[in-house]
Amino acid sequence: MDKAKEIAKQEEKNIEKTREMYEATPAVDIYENENEILLHADMPGVVKDDISVDIDNGTLSISGVRKLETEGAVTYEEFSDVEYIRSFSVPQTIDVEKVEAELKSGVLRLHLPKSEAAKPRQIEIKTA
Amino acid sequence: MFTRMSDIDRLFGTMNLLQRKLDTLYGDYARPSAYKWDLESAAPRTNLYEHDDNFEIRAEVPGLEKDDLNVKIQGNYLEISGKRHSDAPEGYKVHKTERGVGSFSRSFTLPADVDSTEVDATLKNGVLCLTLPKHEAAKPKKISIN
Repeated sequence: MDKAKEIAKQEEKNIEKTREMYEATPAVDIYENENEILLHADMPGVVKDDISVDIDNGTLSISGVRKLETEGAVTYEEFSDVEYIRSFSVPQTIDVEKVEAELKSGVLRLHLPKSEAAKPRQIEIKTA
Repeated sequence: MFTRMSDIDRLFGTMNLLQRKLDTLYGDYARPSAYKWDLESAAPRTNLYEHDDNFEIRAEVPGLEKDDLNVKIQGNYLEISGKRHSDAPEGYKVHKTERGVGSFSRSFTLPADVDSTEVDATLKNGVLCLTLPKHEAAKPKKISIN
């Protein structure tokens, strides 16, 4: 098949495709101490119900959809409806059961506690 | 040519705007690049909508509380300024800090004068929303034909 035909075929295939949402990478801060890892992600305009946090097989994926209800004529627009997506590798030492997430004024905060076994332990030295 | 940093900043701002437009255009096919022209300060991204009787400004201000923000209006001049505090917890090791901190200020010239006494500002989910009623003289008037 020559190239022109191939391109035409591609377009035909895409004709019914609905427009996907624009994807963006949220800015994150990551902190760690002996007990937990903290992750803060900026997701302005996203409401709680539109956020999902998944941990699967050592990968943490966060996703949040922002739907702006707009009306009126747009004079200019620097941000729009967007899907914030980002994935991270998390160490196996994270206690998946105890992960907590909170959303406040457009910032998602995740607490990823380390499992007991992974915490540093002070070993007492006994004198013989 | 460029005499002040703000000129360059504005130029980069325009380039960013163009890039975002292009990103949206090609959004179906490729993941948009996260690249940003430098220098653009922490000034929040803003949308401006126009209704019959008012303007509406929306700005992305994640993590800011209402006490961190200042809005000034004079005639058709609007200034949004604020300070983003670091929310870094004490005693933690830092792995990544992409979320900028510091002060920002952004000013706009609105297409028409607004009534500064009737302005309504709300902050919800990290988005600042300003409703700015147009000044009486700037409101559209219906002219009846005799």
